[in-house]
This record gives sequence, structure tokens and C-alpha cells, in this order.
Amino acid sequence: MVSQIKLMSSDQATIVVDKEVAERSVLIKNMLEDVGEVDEAIPIPNVNEAVLKKVIEWCEHHKGDAPATNEDESDSRKRSTDIEEWDQKFMQVDQEMLFEIILAANYLDIKPLLDVGCKTVANMIKGKSPEEIRKTFNIQNDFTPEEEEQIRRENEWAEE
Amino acid sequence: MRSRSQRHTSVFAGRAPSESSSSSSPERMLDEDHEMMTIADDSQTSIGELTGFRNMTVSPGQSFRKVPLNPVDRLPPELLMAIFSKLASPVDLRSCMLACKQWATCSVELLWQRPYLADFRQYQALVTALLSEQAFFDYPQLVRRLNLNFIAEMVNDGSLEPLTRCTRLERLTLTNCSQLTDHPLMEILERNSRLQALDLSQLEGITDRSMMVVADNCPRLQGLNLAGCKKVTDESLIPLSENRKMLRRLKLNDCAQITDATVFALASNCAQLLEIDFHRCHQIGDQSVTHLLTNLNNLREIRLAYCDLLTDNAFLEIPAYKKFDSLRILDLTDCGLVTDDAVDKIVKMAPRLRNLILAKCRNITDRAVISITSLGKNLHNLHLGHCSNITDRAVRQLVQSCTRIRYIDLACCLRLTDASVCQLALLPKLRRIGLVKCNNITDFAIQSLVRRGNNSQCPLERVHLSYCMHLSVAGIHDLITNCPRLTHLSLTGVEAFYRRKEYTQFCRSPPKEFTENQRSVFCVFSGHGVKDLRRYLTQQKLEEQARHQGRSQPANEVGEDLWGDNDDGGIGLQMEEEGTDEELQ
Repeated sequence: MVSQIKLMSSDQATIVVDKEVAERSVLIKNMLEDVGEVDEAIPIPNVNEAVLKKVIEWCEHHKGDAPATNEDESDSRKRSTDIEEWDQKFMQVDQEMLFEIILAANYLDIKPLLDVGCKTVANMIKGKSPEEIRKTFNIQNDFTPEEEEQIRRENEWAEE
Repeated sequence: MRSRSQRHTSVFAGRAPSESSSSSSPERMLDEDHEMMTIADDSQTSIGELTGFRNMTVSPGQSFRKVPLNPVDRLPPELLMAIFSKLASPVDLRSCMLACKQWATCSVELLWQRPYLADFRQYQALVTALLSEQAFFDYPQLVRRLNLNFIAEMVNDGSLEPLTRCTRLERLTLTNCSQLTDHPLMEILERNSRLQALDLSQLEGITDRSMMVVADNCPRLQGLNLAGCKKVTDESLIPLSENRKMLRRLKLNDCAQITDATVFALASNCAQLLEIDFHRCHQIGDQSVTHLLTNLNNLREIRLAYCDLLTDNAFLEIPAYKKFDSLRILDLTDCGLVTDDAVDKIVKMAPRLRNLILAKCRNITDRAVISITSLGKNLHNLHLGHCSNITDRAVRQLVQSCTRIRYIDLACCLRLTDASVCQLALLPKLRRIGLVKCNNITDFAIQSLVRRGNNSQCPLERVHLSYCMHLSVAGIHDLITNCPRLTHLSLTGVEAFYRRKEYTQFCRSPPKEFTENQRSVFCVFSGHGVKDLRRYLTQQKLEEQARHQGRSQPANEVGEDLWGDNDDGGIGLQMEEEGTDEELQ
């Protein structure tokens, strides 16, 4: 018998989920360890139902993953943005959802999901000019032309 | 300028640099020992920090995020940083800097903490920004790691001067910047008390004065490479040892002026030492080494190559109860006075030795090798080159006990025969074998190396057979076609190869410093050369077989024409080899 727990999203929706799946979140795992067995739904005040469901979908798919080793991250030359295929598909969402997933992964402390989210955004940045980046993310350029030129000059040493 | 810069960079203040101690150097291959330790683990500090971003308190310098209409604006700075940390390209980071002020604040440190400098022009542009009084950010405070090795020839005291502005350097690598003297290096060292790793290898111009600054001023220093800093003496290294108790890795290769006094000081003060290299510190004697080993139980790696005053006493005088369970690497190359007694004591004290280098310890005999067998599966690399007393008997025993050997070098072990190689062929993990000048070896040995009993693939990657005069083309063909992982094959001086243009066309070119004579016998295949030679030899073999078929089936349409050539097929090579042998004489 798989034990299940209830989560309550910020918009008061109750979601039932396998404990094992929910425990991909270090935050939830720690909470469960602190409070023990509970019947009440655990409030997740920062995440709405749509995002929480999406996050749980990811956790379901990755429930069998081996725990991440530190070695994977320690090599900076591998600052890789490779993403496995399922995750790539999973991340094909609008920007609003993408950033909500990243925020939720951060809040819930699901490091591998946060990682995939960050890589997805990094891939959207790669190879783009500053102007293209602004356009992609709808960023307002708040530099004066002089400031922009100054930063450009001061960092022109940076090459491939 | 400062107040403005501080506004932008206050975010990063007060962050403790993470520890930087985790080079797994015992894993490194033996022949890479000249590689700098601080480079080896160059990826540690900032990554620890990057992954810690989420826990940082970061105040957004700007307040334009009041109403986050834009999805991306909901990301707090630490998450923006987490995203930027996935960008490997400095150009991408620079583009992020130019997007808007918040993005600039969140990407500038990633770009500047370890600037990658491939050419001097880049360095000059970087330095211009460091020197700018009106800079947008306080760049000098952002630089944590700097490696000038790639532009070493261009660096002199004048071009180094701007780095005196930096005060938060954690790693400074000046390998091969040989024009440098004590100034302005001393000023840089004075201002960077956070230094954890300093690589000054091959800076022959620096003196005890710089080292005194390190002794007085760098309390966090863990790695210090002074290889080739020939002017450095006991005078600075003794106070340095007394003050820098955190030292974990120290390279003093070719610091030939240092004496036992430095070794004693290190032994008495630096209890954290994990790796130490005294390569060619000729003045070091038995007593100080005994003291070092007796006091420092955590050492993982000790290199005493060419410390030729050392005798058995250096090891025999260590108290019998001492154990060195951490010791993985011991290099005693050319400690020519060392005998079987020392080796026996060493392996008993350090049962987990992984790499043992006894090359040119010419006095050692089979008895030492029999002692070494007690290391069992722990032993991975063993160098016994020029230990010419060793016989097949010792190799047989070694193979029976030390079944995990990956690399064995037996160059110039002149007594060894095919019997030894047949034994070595039983090692399941053997990737690299050195048999240079083992002149008794024949094609039969090669056959046994590649034909493994259990039909498994031959794991050999690097094979050194230079001056094994009896090897033939057929033998090498056998080797090269049966070792799919082979990436290096040296056949210098092997008659059947080096004189033959059709083979040497696949050779790599000899090192620049080689004399004409050395060049003429040089014959080393690596990487693509191995593949090309393999293809060529296979082709040759096929043609030869075709000719043989021609002989067994004289009715073949081309059979008649081939009759004449056939005699040269298999036997011809042999005859030619005999001919060239005579030429040698």
C-alpha cells in the first residue's frame, strides 16, 4: 500500500499525491519528518494549483531517479545546458509557467527540477545579442546609452 | 567611484569562500605529476558558491520590480544568478550584462570571478577595466581566480602591476610567467590575504622576499607550487612552514637550495599536509625524511624523486608502529641507494599504496617485488624501470597478488623474457605497459598480451615497446588489430619499423629537442597515427593473404603472375629484418 498525502495549493485546491513522489521536495520531506503522520493537507502557500500539478507531474516522472551526486555539479567546465528529452518536452510551456516552475522548484527545494528550469532559460539566452535577449524576455532597457556603452567597453575582453 | 561600485557589489560582500581542498590527486596518472595541483582542482571554489546562490540574501539594487508584469521579473536575483551560472560562454554572460541593470548586477560576478584569458590583448582590455576610476562596477573586487599561464610569455612586472588592485583573489596561477620578479608580486600577495592557492612554478626570478609575504600574509593558503623557483631557500620556507599551518599541498620541485631544515619545519608545523613534492631537492637527507613521515600521518602523496642522498635509513628509522593508511602515492625515482629493506618496510607501513614509483632504484631485486605483492589489489601503478635485477619469477608473483594493476613500467629490466609478458597478460585491467629496451621480448609475448584466455577484449591503451629489437611487423600487426583501445604505441629503434617510410609516415614528429640521431630512430604512433597504421597493416595483410591464396589455387586467373611475388609474402619480412640487423652492427 502506497501511502499518500494531501497538499493544499495557494488557491486552496487539495491535491492527493504519493508520499514518495511528494518527497522529491526537500521542503515537504522535512515537513513530514517534523510533523509525522498527518491527515490534514500540507499548505503550499506559494504555489498555485496549476503550477503545483505541473511540479508533481515532474516528480512522478522522476521518482525513480538516483539521488544527485555532488560530482555532477562540481565540474564547472561542464556548465552544461544539456537537458534530457522528457524534461525538454516538459518545459515547453509559456514563459509565465516556466518561471513559476522555477520559483516553485526553488521554494519546494527540488534541486534537479530547478536545474532543468534554469538550463531551459539559459538555453533561451545562449547565442543571443543583448537586444534579442530583451526582446525574448520583454525586458526594458533601463541603461542610458552612455551606461550601455561603458559596460560594453569594460567587458569587451570577454570572448569565447 | 567606490560608493557607486559598492552599491552594485555589496551583494557579494561577506561571502566566505568555500574550501578548496578536493583535488583527487591520487587518481591522477603518474606521468601527469608535473601538472599543477592548483589547476587540477581549479573547478571547486566558485561552483560551491554558485550552487549556494539560493541561500544568499540578495537585495535587488533597483526598485523597478515593484509591479512584476513580466514573468521574468518575478525571478529574484539569486534565481537569475542560478540561470546565468549555466552559461558557459563569457559572451553570453556579457550579453546578459547588457540587457538591463538588474541582469547586469546578477551576471557581472559570474563573468569576472574567473576571467578566462587566452591571449594578451584580452588581458590588456581586462586590466584597463580594472584600472578605470569611473568603472560601472568595482571589478577588482570581483576577480577571485586568475590564471595567466596561457599568456605567460607576455607577462612581466609592468603588466602585472594592475593586479595590485585586486584584493579578493583566491587562486592565482602564474605558471611559466618567467619574467616576473618580486615586484609587484609582493604587493599583490600583501593585498590578497584570501589566497588559497598560489602557483608560481618556473618563476626563477622570485626570491625569499615574496615567500616572506606569503608567510606573513596569506592565512588561508592551502596549495603552493614553487616548482622551479630556484632562488627560494630555507630562509623563507622555515617561517612559511611555521605560519602556514593550513598548507595541504606543496611543490618544491627543483628548489635545490632547500635543506633538511625546511623539511624539519614542515614536519613540525604543517600537520594538514596531504601532498608534498621534493623532486630534485638534492640536499634532503635521511633524518629529515624520517621526521617528516613520522610526524605527518595524513600524507596522501610523497614525491622524493632524485633525492639521491636518501638511503634505507630514511624509512627504517620510522617507528615500527607507524601506519600510513592514507598514503597512495610514493615516488622514489632514482633514489639509487634505496634497497629491498626500505621497500619492504614501506609497503608494510603503507598497505594502501596505489602508485609506487621505484624507477632507477637500481639496487632493488626480486625480494622488493615480493614485498610489494603484499599491497595486493590496492596497487594500480608500479614503475620498476631500470631495476634490472628483477626477473620473471618476481613478475609472476606480482601478477598473482596485485591483480588490479593498470599501469606497469618495466623499461630496461633486461632479464625479463616473454614469460613475464605472458604473466602480465593475465592482468584484467592493464591499460598501459612499458617494456622499452626489454630486449628478450619477441612476437610471442605480444601474442599472449592480446590473446586473452576468456575471449575478452584487450584493455591496453598505451604500449611502449621501443628498442625491443626482435619485434616484427607481424607481431605489431597482431597487437594493433587486437587492441581496439590502443591510442599510443612507441616503437622507437625497432628495426622492422623505424626504417620503413611506409610505416613512419603515420608517426608523430619527434620532439624539438631531439638530436639528429634520436630523430632518425624515433617511431611513436599516437591517436590517429595508431588508427592509420592499423588500417595500413590490415590492408597489407589482406594483400599478402590474397597472394597466398594465389599460391594455393594456381588455377586462379592472376595466380600465375603472383607466383614470383609469393616468396616474399610471409618470409620476406623476416629476411629483411636480418639484413638490417647486420647494418646495425
